[in-house]
Amino acid sequence: MKVKTTIVALVACTIIGVHYSTLRAQSSRSVWDGVYTEEQAKQGQGLYNEKCSSCHGDTLMGGESAPALAGGEFLSNWNGLTLGDLFERIRTTMPQNRPGSVARPANAQILAYMLSANQFPAGKTELSQQTEVLKEIKIDAQKPNPK
Amino acid sequence: MPRNANGRNVLLTTALSVVLGALWIAINASGQGPGLPSTQKGDWPYYTADLKGTKYSPLDQINASNFNKLEVAWRFKTDNMGPRPEYKLEGTPVAINGNLYVTAGTRRSVISLDGKTGELNWSYALREGNRAAIAARQLSGRGVSFWTDGKGDDRVVYVTTGYRLVEINAHTGAVITSFGKDGIVDLKVGMITGSGQQIDLETGEAGLHSTPLIVKDVAIIGSSFKEGMTPVTHNNTKGLVRAYDVRTGKLLWTFNTIPKPGEFGNETWENGSWATNGNTGVWTQMTVDEDLGLVYLPVEDPTSDYYGGHRPGNNLFGDSLVCVDLKTGIRKWHYQVVHHPIWDFDLSSAPILADINVNGKAIKAVALPSKEAFLYVFDRVTGEPVWPMEERPVQQSDVPGEKTSPTQPFPTKPPAYARNYLKVPDDLIDFTPEMRAQAKDVLARYRVAGMFNPPLVGDGNGLLGAINVGNAGGGTNWPGAGYDPETHIVYAQASNSSAAGLSVRKPPGGFSDLNYFAGRNDQPFREALGPGFGTAADSPLAKTIGKPQPPPPANAPAYGLNVQGLPIMKPPYGVISAINLDRGDLQWQVPFGETPDNIVNNPALKGINIGNTGQNGSVGLLVTKTLVILGDSQVTSITHPRGAMLRAYDKATGKEVGAVWMPAAQSGSPMTYSAGGKQYIVIAVSGGAYSGEYIAFSLPATD
Repeated sequence: MKVKTTIVALVACTIIGVHYSTLRAQSSRSVWDGVYTEEQAKQGQGLYNEKCSSCHGDTLMGGESAPALAGGEFLSNWNGLTLGDLFERIRTTMPQNRPGSVARPANAQILAYMLSANQFPAGKTELSQQTEVLKEIKIDAQKPNPK
Repeated sequence: MPRNANGRNVLLTTALSVVLGALWIAINASGQGPGLPSTQKGDWPYYTADLKGTKYSPLDQINASNFNKLEVAWRFKTDNMGPRPEYKLEGTPVAINGNLYVTAGTRRSVISLDGKTGELNWSYALREGNRAAIAARQLSGRGVSFWTDGKGDDRVVYVTTGYRLVEINAHTGAVITSFGKDGIVDLKVGMITGSGQQIDLETGEAGLHSTPLIVKDVAIIGSSFKEGMTPVTHNNTKGLVRAYDVRTGKLLWTFNTIPKPGEFGNETWENGSWATNGNTGVWTQMTVDEDLGLVYLPVEDPTSDYYGGHRPGNNLFGDSLVCVDLKTGIRKWHYQVVHHPIWDFDLSSAPILADINVNGKAIKAVALPSKEAFLYVFDRVTGEPVWPMEERPVQQSDVPGEKTSPTQPFPTKPPAYARNYLKVPDDLIDFTPEMRAQAKDVLARYRVAGMFNPPLVGDGNGLLGAINVGNAGGGTNWPGAGYDPETHIVYAQASNSSAAGLSVRKPPGGFSDLNYFAGRNDQPFREALGPGFGTAADSPLAKTIGKPQPPPPANAPAYGLNVQGLPIMKPPYGVISAINLDRGDLQWQVPFGETPDNIVNNPALKGINIGNTGQNGSVGLLVTKTLVILGDSQVTSITHPRGAMLRAYDKATGKEVGAVWMPAAQSGSPMTYSAGGKQYIVIAVSGGAYSGEYIAFSLPATD
């Protein structure tokens, strides 16, 4: 009886443990994990120049009172939030003269360019255009220690 | 003293007269009679608390002993006060008899809230269509003004996105139909370009974020325009300051900030250039001395911000503090703090009226906080500087066609309350000797030449820019400073690390009639648009001219004047200062704001004790009986949940005595009022992913 209980408890622990680590692995995805492609960022640059740079500047350093989209202050401001938060902010309110006029794929490209400008690494899969998926990618201002 | 049978009565009568007279003087000196709102009664009647620009309230229920106990009393999210949320909420409510009035949302709606609960009393919005969509100053602006006849005719006065002056019944939210035409005065009427061409009422460029200055029965209104970095023409709309009858909307007087022929200062626009240049508006708060009948106008740059080759001369009243007569608008005196302005040193802040005592002499002074972190102090009657201002030689421009002023004024007192030039090497980052060496390497691509370093022609093969500090954002920007009328101390928050390399370029063919404007020759040209400036569907959109550049290499120090992702200037990145106006010195100065996450976590700083660096940015503050209160300009997440802190400082020492958590950074200027016997502090927060919200704090109910 005692042995049986212990086995059950052990199995339960293992199951919970496996589930927990799976959950952790999902939620620990960050901008450092190669979440966009170089091609996507390149397309995003053209779109940025056309739609964003008038206020946010050629080098994403901001204008008279439009904030910078690259660099320490920008990263501090978004540190701890998700790409989904940033994506929604861009998608629903930008560009300021015609909010909501840029389609999701183009917004994803612009976001990819912003990631590259902030020197986050590119990867093999394209950045999603789905907000829910982007909400699973955390913005970590600083590179995590190697695992 | 007469001694007769009626001696006692004479005495009594005399005494009564004296008391009544004193009362009368007291009431009139404050400008706030029994029926009128005042900070003494717990109101916050003006954007800057009072007409003197002090942001001072004598309330003291919230103090050092209990600041940490503050709780959110109520909150008002502004998302639905327009077709989409706003992320740059900058308003400061006025509070009258326990009700708040303020602008909110992307429609710039006006709302009235119950000060005790935050419940919406009423809202008002004017739908202006394309006129608002393409307006020069968008979003919700800084708030509203309040006027009362003291007998129940109470009005809210504000300027719409599309630059219309509107009056609303403060009790009902209905427009005052007897004002202007059905409650509206079209402020674009009378705005001109060139030597007198009326601008188009729909598409003509003019707008305003600041609140009307209401004094007695007069509403005084400034003007502002699109961003001045890459204008399509130097012949932009001309700035004006105008006064209207607050009851009827009738225009009372106009002050031409660019003087016409025959007016004082016209000759400072050489070669008749007054007729071919614009801007020079007043976009920030003005102040007024009711008793002296004098209005103080802080004037901005002429067109364009960084190139003045089309306007030789000193260009009055660009970057001047101008004193005009309240009744007539006629100039009494002026002082130009930047000659021939080409540094974007627009006068950004409400002038502060201060009755001070210097070396035993009482002076009615006016103190002007600035982007250049000088507090310029004048006798407000005569315009004489209280302490000498020296004209000192400055670096001259080598941009073709630009003729800079050989000298610029430097106040000898008080000292600058934040950095206003880059002192090399003293101001450079010094966490490690390597970082300082890298900073010097970065600077090798720029011209460093003290304050008033004129923009140069930026070229990737040569110099990238002229190093200046505080130009676009300050120092102290639009939130201004505060003042304690009892102790004669000005409290000013200021950015202490906003270095920039200013450069100009030739505009691409056909884009502009300027020979040069902001930019660099080696970069593709893009029009610089201000925040919220909209070019609607049928307006010419900003176009990229020239080939897109490849992204900078991954290892480039790139983005701005940084070293390993850190500001090129050493901390503190932001400061708050107490400036004693009797002595003209700094009483104290402390870093302001929490060390940003990216500094704390920067791998290059591992193991180095960096202390409290403060934060870059210009934020507004509130002065109470004992505290200076203001919120962080950036969010942080190291020592508290992700958010920003509203902080209280001991006025006497600068010691932080309390802090409460806010979900986002302060984006407006805080205010305080009393309702139902309780003191409240209201602050606008927004930014990043957090949309605009007014949050009210108060002390918990005692049991």
